[in-house]
Amino acid sequence: MSATTTTHDHAHDDPAHDHAHHEPGWLYKYIFSTDHKVIGVQYGLSGLLFLLFGFFLMMVMRWTIAYPGVPLPGIEFLSGLPVIGDVVVHWTERWAPGGIVSPDLYNMFGAMHGTIMVFMGIVPLGFAAFGNYVMPLQIGAIDMAFPKLNAWSFWLFFIGGMLMMASFFLPTGAAQTGWTNYSPLATTTHYIVKNTWLTGQTWWLAAMVFVISSSLLGSVNFITTLLNLRARGMTFFRLPFFCWAMLVTSFLLLLAFPPLEVAAILQLFDRVFGSSFFLPSGLIQGGKLLDISGGGSPLLYQHLFWFLAHPEVYVLILPAFAIISDVIPCNARRPLWGYKMMVYSALTLGFLSFLVWAHHMYLTGMGTTMATYFQITTVLISVPSVILLTCLMISLWGGSIRFNTQMLFATAFLPMFGIGGLTGLPLAFSFIDLHLHDTYYVIGHFHYVVAPGTIFALFAGVYHWFPKVTGRFMNDTLGKFHFWPSLLFMNVIFGPMFVQGFSGFHRRWYDGGKAFEATTKDLLWTNELISFGAWGLALAQVFFIVNLWLSIKGGKKVTNDNPWDATTLEWCTPTPPGHGNFITEPVTYRGPYEYSVPGHATDFTPQFDGQASGASAPATAPAVASHH
Amino acid sequence: MEIPYTVTARPDTGLWNAKIGVWLFLASEVMLFGGLFSSYIFLRLGADYFWPIHELNVKMGCFNTAVLIGSSVTIVMAWAGVKMRNYKMYFWNLLITILCAFLFLTVKFFEYKSKIEHYGVVLKDGTILLGHQPEEGYRYKFNADSVTLNFKEADPPYFMRFATKPAGEHGGAHDEHGSAPAEILPIETVKFKTESGKETTLAPADFQALKSEAKAAKKDSLKLTPVQPLAFHAKPSKLASHSEKSLAFLDGTLIEGKLVSDKMELHVDVIDTRAAPDADKSMAWAIFKDAGWKKAFDESREEHLKKFNETHPGQDPMKSDHYLREALRFEVHGETPAAHEAKHKEGVGFFDDMPWAEHHYPTVEIEGKDIQRWSNFLPKWNTYYAIYFTITGLHGAHVLAGALVMLYFLVFNSRWFKTDPEHLANRVETGGLFWHFVDLVWIFLFPLLYLL
Amino acid sequence: MANSPEEVAKHVKTYLKVGAALLFLTAVTVWLSYVDFGTHSRNMAIGLTVATFKTSLVVLIFMHMNHERPLIYKFMLFSMLLLGVMFTLFVFVHDDGLIMRGYQAVFGKH
Ligand code: HEM
Ligand SMILES: [Cu+2]
Repeated sequence: MSATTTTHDHAHDDPAHDHAHHEPGWLYKYIFSTDHKVIGVQYGLSGLLFLLFGFFLMMVMRWTIAYPGVPLPGIEFLSGLPVIGDVVVHWTERWAPGGIVSPDLYNMFGAMHGTIMVFMGIVPLGFAAFGNYVMPLQIGAIDMAFPKLNAWSFWLFFIGGMLMMASFFLPTGAAQTGWTNYSPLATTTHYIVKNTWLTGQTWWLAAMVFVISSSLLGSVNFITTLLNLRARGMTFFRLPFFCWAMLVTSFLLLLAFPPLEVAAILQLFDRVFGSSFFLPSGLIQGGKLLDISGGGSPLLYQHLFWFLAHPEVYVLILPAFAIISDVIPCNARRPLWGYKMMVYSALTLGFLSFLVWAHHMYLTGMGTTMATYFQITTVLISVPSVILLTCLMISLWGGSIRFNTQMLFATAFLPMFGIGGLTGLPLAFSFIDLHLHDTYYVIGHFHYVVAPGTIFALFAGVYHWFPKVTGRFMNDTLGKFHFWPSLLFMNVIFGPMFVQGFSGFHRRWYDGGKAFEATTKDLLWTNELISFGAWGLALAQVFFIVNLWLSIKGGKKVTNDNPWDATTLEWCTPTPPGHGNFITEPVTYRGPYEYSVPGHATDFTPQFDGQASGASAPATAPAVASHH
Repeated sequence: MEIPYTVTARPDTGLWNAKIGVWLFLASEVMLFGGLFSSYIFLRLGADYFWPIHELNVKMGCFNTAVLIGSSVTIVMAWAGVKMRNYKMYFWNLLITILCAFLFLTVKFFEYKSKIEHYGVVLKDGTILLGHQPEEGYRYKFNADSVTLNFKEADPPYFMRFATKPAGEHGGAHDEHGSAPAEILPIETVKFKTESGKETTLAPADFQALKSEAKAAKKDSLKLTPVQPLAFHAKPSKLASHSEKSLAFLDGTLIEGKLVSDKMELHVDVIDTRAAPDADKSMAWAIFKDAGWKKAFDESREEHLKKFNETHPGQDPMKSDHYLREALRFEVHGETPAAHEAKHKEGVGFFDDMPWAEHHYPTVEIEGKDIQRWSNFLPKWNTYYAIYFTITGLHGAHVLAGALVMLYFLVFNSRWFKTDPEHLANRVETGGLFWHFVDLVWIFLFPLLYLL
Repeated sequence: MANSPEEVAKHVKTYLKVGAALLFLTAVTVWLSYVDFGTHSRNMAIGLTVATFKTSLVVLIFMHMNHERPLIYKFMLFSMLLLGVMFTLFVFVHDDGLIMRGYQAVFGKH
């Protein structure tokens, strides 16, 4: 097959595909499907919805920070709506009397914003959605190694997500102690109540157990698939970097999540069975000695939590690198620079990410030996991060860049992630961190990595693979209207946070610092600025939502299975790929990034091109499977 | 469409899919139990109390260890049976494995049960009394003058559930009303007066009426006065707080009146004076009316001290955990000091610590003011029991899951023995790997929780 | 891998022997836990050594780790490494002198 413009019919119109098995019913095709692509899309849509919801929570918080004590706008309008009106009235009566956000509500939204963004938004999108859809296609597999497990993984995630959402309507409301849920605060909030099973915090813990089980099944599936279902010729060093990043991410999920599961289970025990895993002796609440055995340790919770949560930040960022490393070479028409170095960096990153967790705990009074150890490993881990970023930047060098929407997002990712990463470095040193810990500086640091970083990468991925998934393009003009304001407002939001942090703004102030006016008054106006940034960002997303909505049914049709002239295997499938993915058995003849190879007819030579020079015979074992 | 390498191994990795899958799963399980074990280490190093040693039933734990080891042998034999194409060998070994799993869980059930029925009471000076409680458990006895319902949370109010069931003892709820003390009237029939003087009851219909009235008046609470005298036996765990004059329930109901008694009755089987500043002045000796107990304690301590001095000449006994445990933690073996002495001479029987053995213990009454805290041997008692129940509970869940998976193989996959034996062998091997892991966790749990 | 029927048949006896050894070692563990070695840390060290030996038998023989594919070794070594990190660092973070004191509890002060 040569790399020219060929279009396959939709796979399910292909008679060769249909004779063997009859079409499954609608329910099994779209809802309880075991097809990795459907599951990927399910994860993608639910992830986007969660992302939107988490963003909505933050906008409410930003209102209170900018205008403490002023009633929220729009409550009256919502109360007047037909179906949900009553719920809104009832709920605001409890949590926002007179439309004024109560401190409890602020805490609830804060905790749930973090939780939803990290565990139900970014990870499901970056890892589960893109990984599920793209990875098996890129390695030439017909599906995941364990398709049923894959469906289970999604549904466990879904149950976990629904539990989280439902917890908003409990009498105690949802969890209120930050996404980190530190004990003893998290344990003793809504602790002496009639039934601790029916409290938001307990549901948070139960939901996490579901989400963790889901990601466990997912990661087992990803790794097995990557190891055992690679197509003929797909050696490890012919895997696109995307797949490598997914492999490392899977290992992080596999091995880092269990300790969080332990933390969740132990805190659950503390709450509902009255144990004292995380409660020290002599704990006093509201002036009263608690009736507990004591003897536990809040630090144990922090260890278990951060043992997960540091690797977790790489779970957030690696899928972003995965996507960017496909989008940039494709649109710069240049090979990925330093592919092997990037692979080794990702592996190193994965390994080191398990050894740095206590840099979140410098303030807990650890011994100096250990503080030194964690400072060293934290500085070390920035080296592979810098290598990844640098390789991507060098890949742009000398390219003939196509600035379509996905490329805009991808190139913007680079400096944004750069700012995020560089601002992390000072935090690595305990003497600086003592000052900056729990201030807006830290919020600025990680949001630069995750918001204009990972989320931009996710947008790039959506624009990039949308044609493969739906058979239609997204609109590029709307895309640009989406991109430029997003870039602007992201910086309006997160930039001033560094300044706020330096001057001591605490990350959990309900009134944005108004109560400490003596020290904060010079910078209080930045609160308003940031909030305007947040609402502006919301407006920019309208372009995306409209674009997505319109393009699904009315976007320009894809006439070529490989519309971006890309090189990886997913572009040799029919558009969209049917059940079983490939029409003929995919074979890999070369590395993943052969762009602008001198002497080749076109400026790209796909991995599945066996004709162009440089093709080498498949090295791995033949896939015995029939493709029907 | 069929996924490749479900039965045969992929040549370059040398592995079939499920084998990679199960090993990855086990790697994750290593981290799960690893997290639990490191919590164990953390809690044990930080414990500010005497970590229990040999406090669980070692015989039962030992038996269960043997059961798991046996099943580890049978599961690998079942796999060998498939490989050797010997159906009987496969079938019986797999069946025995499953039965072993259920036997393990049954034994575990009895172990848990005996812990749930066993109580510990920490006295104000740190002395700990262990024992059993009378059937009703610990109750505050209280005479109510008024009941304030809280409509925000309580629906229906909680106290109703146990206020109606004061044990047969004289002085129970509304006994003045009934003919015999044993006859208990359901609280729904007790008449109350509202503040406006209207008569009502707490029967569901009346309660709902009260609630809607309160709602109409925009009130959250309502005070009722019982028409006839009303006595409660309140369960302490359902109270947010209590004083001489009031009981505040967790659901917001407030009962005012007079506390009659908060004495706890306990059938004591261990007197642990290790945490008391001075064992000779322990509060226990005032609680035990019979001075013979202190004598028995002294004698036993002398005996241990003598032994210690013989085996560890020149060492300070108070620095030996072993000595302290033996000498200051006094196990009671009879209803009276004399019976205890007799039993001690005769020697404790091998099966005396099994659930079915019958025991007689002295009964004491402990004043509420002398109690620092109390609980049965559940996670609430201390971090040792907390981690014990958590780890063994999760381990038990794994045993159950393993048993169900193997049962599934036995019932639904056995027919593959003829048609697709290699696939069956793979399944049994996968299940077996998981099963060995469960066994392996137990090999550490047994010494760490029962022995060391 | 021991896959042919003949090879498997050869292993059956080993399995029984290992089972018997495990039962025997269980009894030994129980017995040792009642022996007073002076400090309780010594009891811990001895008991855990026996337990580790028992688990190695299970892993090597029953779980066939004595002849497994390199890939599996890699997974397990990695997770064991992280396990070690977890065991030591969690407590070590708050107590720099812990290892020395633990050593002294078992082997005494020199
Ligand atoms: C590149 C090198 C990086 C270094 C040296 C670094 C360092 C740190 C340090 C020391 C903290 C703790 C600050 C404190 O709480 O006082 C921190 C917080 C954080 N970092 Fe980074 N980081 C880096 C990259 C990343 C990346 C790539 C991500 C995510 C994708 C990330 C996400 C976070 C998050 C979420 C927090 C805050 C967690 C919380 O307290 O809620 N970091 N970082
Ligand atoms: Cu970190």
